[in-house]
Amino acid sequence: MTEELATPVNRPETLLPPKVEKASATNTIAERARKRRLRERNLVVGVQVALVIALLAGMYALNATSGNLVMPRPDDVLRRSIQMWSDGTMIRALGESLTVLGLGFLLSATTGIAVGVLLGGFRFVGRVLDPFVNAMNSTPGAAFIPLIIVWFGLYSEAKIVVVWNAAVFPILINTAAGISNANKDLVEMGRAFGAKRATLFWNVMVPDALPSILSGLRIGAAISTVGTVIAELTMAQSGLGGLLASAGNRFQMDKYFAVVIVLMVLGTLLTALLRYAETRFARWRVSLSDNR
Amino acid sequence: MDASLSPLISLRHVGKSFKDGEVRAIEDISFDVRPGEFVSLVGPSGCGKTTILRLINGLITPDEGEVRVMGAAPEPGPDLAMVFQSARLMPWRTVAGNIEFALALRGLNRKERQERALALLGAVGLRDFANAYPHELSGGMQQRVGLARALSVEPKVLLMDEPFAALDAMTREVLRNELLQMWSERRMAIVFVTHDIEEAVLLSQRIVLLRPRPGRVDEIVDVDLPEPRWQKDPRPLPAFIEMREHLWNRIRGMAADGVELEELAGAFPRLGTPEKGAR
Repeated sequence: MTEELATPVNRPETLLPPKVEKASATNTIAERARKRRLRERNLVVGVQVALVIALLAGMYALNATSGNLVMPRPDDVLRRSIQMWSDGTMIRALGESLTVLGLGFLLSATTGIAVGVLLGGFRFVGRVLDPFVNAMNSTPGAAFIPLIIVWFGLYSEAKIVVVWNAAVFPILINTAAGISNANKDLVEMGRAFGAKRATLFWNVMVPDALPSILSGLRIGAAISTVGTVIAELTMAQSGLGGLLASAGNRFQMDKYFAVVIVLMVLGTLLTALLRYAETRFARWRVSLSDNR
Repeated sequence: MDASLSPLISLRHVGKSFKDGEVRAIEDISFDVRPGEFVSLVGPSGCGKTTILRLINGLITPDEGEVRVMGAAPEPGPDLAMVFQSARLMPWRTVAGNIEFALALRGLNRKERQERALALLGAVGLRDFANAYPHELSGGMQQRVGLARALSVEPKVLLMDEPFAALDAMTREVLRNELLQMWSERRMAIVFVTHDIEEAVLLSQRIVLLRPRPGRVDEIVDVDLPEPRWQKDPRPLPAFIEMREHLWNRIRGMAADGVELEELAGAFPRLGTPEKGAR
């Protein structure tokens, strides 16, 4: 807005070389806008760096006043992290966790989407199963852990079931909602051109539901990491959750924090990846919401 | 041939209700559309214009009376193509992909579909945008794609549901002209729904004027203006002005009969301007 106001000021009294003047005017507008954006970004990054420094300083201060048990020194955490990564502990644990996480998520994604499509596509099935799905979804996933232990034991398969149980419902519900809320106008358009039910379903309703399915997957992935850690903490200790438990039990807070950082990064990467998939496969939805 | 003289579309005493019969949408609607004829359905909102189109398309079935298209109960398919008020393009498909969707329903193979889609896009001046996505196009361009999609299936009847109502005045003007031009080349029958009297007179050969709540036929008038209208604007002609006045008087008559004027005020901005003998 300010850039637009600036243009007439720069305009010379004589309009002899109008083209050049206009070009340079737009150049300065672009220049100013770029500078403003840069300034804003620098400010954001600056405040973020300041917050990290404050956090680290706070950790040092807490460590100095209350000791290693309450808060480890950040440099101890760093040293411990390097040690755990180089001696293979972290890589092994990460591998175990990722196996449970990956398989559990894959299972919940396939079953969640399949059942969601069924529920969203067939109104009768959807209406019949709706209360059951809601009841299961509302029950905290941890409530089923004793049952899962009795049925599946304490090892990988049981953990995968825990992850599946946690992640399947958000995926299922988002898929079903996406399909049953498919754009009525587009469905009518398809019908008007003579599309049969199956064509409408696969070529109109399912693609229209894709953004909703993808956000279900993103939520499911986030919950999968939670489920993985809970399973590893409560069942046979393994993976990153197992490391957390053993470090916590022995009050090795530097080790504990080193694992927490890995979990943080893992969760962030996973969500970022699925967010990327969302923008990639549901480009139109994103650009619609960006077009102010 | 005899078949060309018999009506392509015929409605006989058609009635339709919604919401379990609570809302009477249309009542005792009868009119014909001949092959290649351009017929407009005009009337204030609530007169069931869109309902009639959907009946002709076969998307819904009448409660009473009979709708026949080419001698049979209508079924959605390639003989009938619809252009909607909003373009209704699938945002995940390219412009060409949207047209190919309709062509696939006609059973064309991939190569034919691609060629046909490009040809149709050329006809509406959007060949360069074949690989663009609908959200990258302006409203007028999207509506052109909607028109191209409908024309691509080579329908015998083109159904148009206020196709230009959401566009700006200049785009509307251009698209009206293009529509007339395409119609004069292809000569399919067009059933055109609008609440714009001037648009109806400008485009159509016959106007079915409807009155609202429930929708009934008020009058069917022939529009006798020199062709081709896309070459010579008929709007300054006395016959055009006379026809427009006549239709306006009918609508004022509806108002006098107790049709809610607020509805009309929204649909017809010009009704508020002082003119002699309103009522």
